[in-house]
Amino acid sequence: MPLPLSYSVRSLFARRLRTALTVGVIALVVVATTLFLGLISSLQRTLRTTGDPRNLIVMRKGSSNDGSSQLPLEALQNIRFFEGIARDPAGNPVISPELIVQPFFLRKDGGRENVLVRGVEPAAALAVHDEVRIAEGRIFEPSAGEAIVGRGVAGRYRGAQLGETLDFGRGKWKVVGIFDSGGTSFESEVWVDVRELANDAKRTFPYSSFRISAAPGADIEALARRIGDDPRHALEAQPEPAYYAKQAESANTLYVLVVGLAVLAGIGAVFGATNTLYAAVQARTAEIGTLRAIGFSRASILTGFLVESLLTAFVGFAIGGALAAALGFGISRALGGVGFAAATFTTSVIELRVGGSDLFAAFLLALAVGLLGGFFPARRAAAMRPVEALRKA
Amino acid sequence: MIRFLPLVWRNLGRNKTRSLLTGAAIALAIALVCILRTMPAGLDNLLASIAKNNRISVHNEAGIVYALPYSYLQKVRSVPGVVAATSWTWFGGAFEEEKGVTFPNFAVDADSIGPVYEDLGIAPEALEAFRRQRDAVLVGHQTLEKYHWKVGDRVTLKSTVFPVDLEVQIVGEIPLPNDPRVWLQREYLSQALESQGRSFDMINMVWARVDQPERVNDVMRAIDELFRNSEAETASETEKSFFGNLFGNLQGFVTVILIVTGMVTLCIVFIAANTASMSIRERVGELAVMKALGFRWNTLFWLLILETALLAAVSGAAGVSITLGLARLLKSVAGWSPQLGPLASFLVTSAILVQGLFLALVIGIVSGVVPSYGASRRSVAATLREVF
Repeated sequence: MPLPLSYSVRSLFARRLRTALTVGVIALVVVATTLFLGLISSLQRTLRTTGDPRNLIVMRKGSSNDGSSQLPLEALQNIRFFEGIARDPAGNPVISPELIVQPFFLRKDGGRENVLVRGVEPAAALAVHDEVRIAEGRIFEPSAGEAIVGRGVAGRYRGAQLGETLDFGRGKWKVVGIFDSGGTSFESEVWVDVRELANDAKRTFPYSSFRISAAPGADIEALARRIGDDPRHALEAQPEPAYYAKQAESANTLYVLVVGLAVLAGIGAVFGATNTLYAAVQARTAEIGTLRAIGFSRASILTGFLVESLLTAFVGFAIGGALAAALGFGISRALGGVGFAAATFTTSVIELRVGGSDLFAAFLLALAVGLLGGFFPARRAAAMRPVEALRKA
Repeated sequence: MIRFLPLVWRNLGRNKTRSLLTGAAIALAIALVCILRTMPAGLDNLLASIAKNNRISVHNEAGIVYALPYSYLQKVRSVPGVVAATSWTWFGGAFEEEKGVTFPNFAVDADSIGPVYEDLGIAPEALEAFRRQRDAVLVGHQTLEKYHWKVGDRVTLKSTVFPVDLEVQIVGEIPLPNDPRVWLQREYLSQALESQGRSFDMINMVWARVDQPERVNDVMRAIDELFRNSEAETASETEKSFFGNLFGNLQGFVTVILIVTGMVTLCIVFIAANTASMSIRERVGELAVMKALGFRWNTLFWLLILETALLAAVSGAAGVSITLGLARLLKSVAGWSPQLGPLASFLVTSAILVQGLFLALVIGIVSGVVPSYGASRRSVAATLREVF
């Protein structure tokens, strides 16, 4: 017959301070792990979800990001009518020629950051990047000194709210719209007219990259190969998700690092939990002897103590998880998003969100702490011989 | 008190499993705290190392990525108060193409590197070779260590900015422990571009050294005044301000690291306090007997504190040694990354280690105070009645 659950629960309440301290340790490890994982996975999510598998990004061969690529006008004219490029209802190819510059912006707290400013043609850009949606205001008019800003930008920098004036590059830009893109990295960008931006930045080459929408059913790989093989310009085309996944790679090292630290913290918590339960087993020698004497089996004693340990871990996880979610939200709010330097030396503004997968990872950690921390003391309790246990007491 | 050390030591050995588990938990937590602290320390260390020099950066007011004409270098040199000036142009060279740029690398004016960076301690032979040899590069200590490069090695850097691959030879080291920078000759890049029929007339920034610290502000004003209303207006700032701004976007990440560090510290307190309360609780009878034998309460109190402090100190020492090993491991896998900059240098300073030890000791003492005080103040009669 198994020990009733209430026996394990009540045992926890019998030594409140120790239970509270052990729960506290597990909760803190959970908070630390969840917060860190949440930060990294928010960064990865932002980069990984950016880009459409039906879109190609075309850059100069050898450029690792569109911030360092330069393309001439002729390159655009050469590839415009390649087969496999989507057409709009009027029959024009759906291509967005874009220019990237990275001017200084002032943060609200006074610091200075490079922000990615993307020069685009409004209609083409919205056609290619169909995840981008104007949330407030309107799209900019070309050659009118107007700009639209991503959500992440609007909250973080001076003069970036709707109706305010941004001061970057050589000119001044009126913010006429705020856009969102479902949490992707476009939200850390400012979009303006591509020709105005080229003039402002005095660029010799008008473009950094072309974004191309593949026609429905067209072979996107073949289109990419054809662009790459074109002998007139050294171009390289790749699907957008592949490009952004490459940008996310250095975040992967970070992920491994954080998981390693979390495991170390978890091992520490296992030691702490083991200690507490060993003490409990020792203090309850007589009780265990009695339980065995009145007929509870070794297996039920073992399970009883394991349940005690697991309960501690779950309570720790619940408290820690809730605390981490609240902290994540608070930090994100207080700082206007957490900044990371992107490969283009611009700032990606990440909304720190503790997601289900982060909580699940922390849950696994808590579960492991509960099981490992409970196992050895539980085994010792189960191994006690009733007569000796009673005599010792 | 010293003569009681053997007694304290034996008390710790009484429940070996418990002491070992507690010690290991504290050691791991101290190691974590130390490792986490190396991250912001990498940034602090960088900023502190450049806080006192007279170097200023001159870049386009609109941003570093906005170019300046090469002619600006000569104009900056002619400003009174400027001792020497060199230019930096981002080369964006990748050593392993698929990994992208794994260390910051710039084309610089080889002749003026020595005078502008006289405080870096670069060997005179290295500077001389860098000036003489067209394909020479100076490599920061961190990058040398990461790739196990030696002076004399030849490597090829594929530029992600210019359409050239340059084969270069390492002629010397920038000896700062967490310096990832690589400098190559501007002249070498310039010739490579000209051989392709391209002109090369831009720079990203000028670095200049001012003769006296008091003049730095005046010189910066004079330079910005010089280029007012020109094709590219400039913004000058001190080296500290420049790097402080460059890494300003890491503030959010640093905040998270600090919060996590605080939590791990609190964990240590909990673990140590738990152990102290357990082992003291089990010993109340024994303490009462000692009191009955004539030990004073404050002697007993200090004995108990000494016990928790000793355990914490030994574990702290173990934690510090784990830190050293762990930092070496992390350095080899992580190194410079654009996302983390100096945060990933995992620079273990002696201050961090000493503070780690001190933290362990303080936590050991603090966590022992409450249970020890309670136990040592209990009345003998009450305890003995309860126990026997």
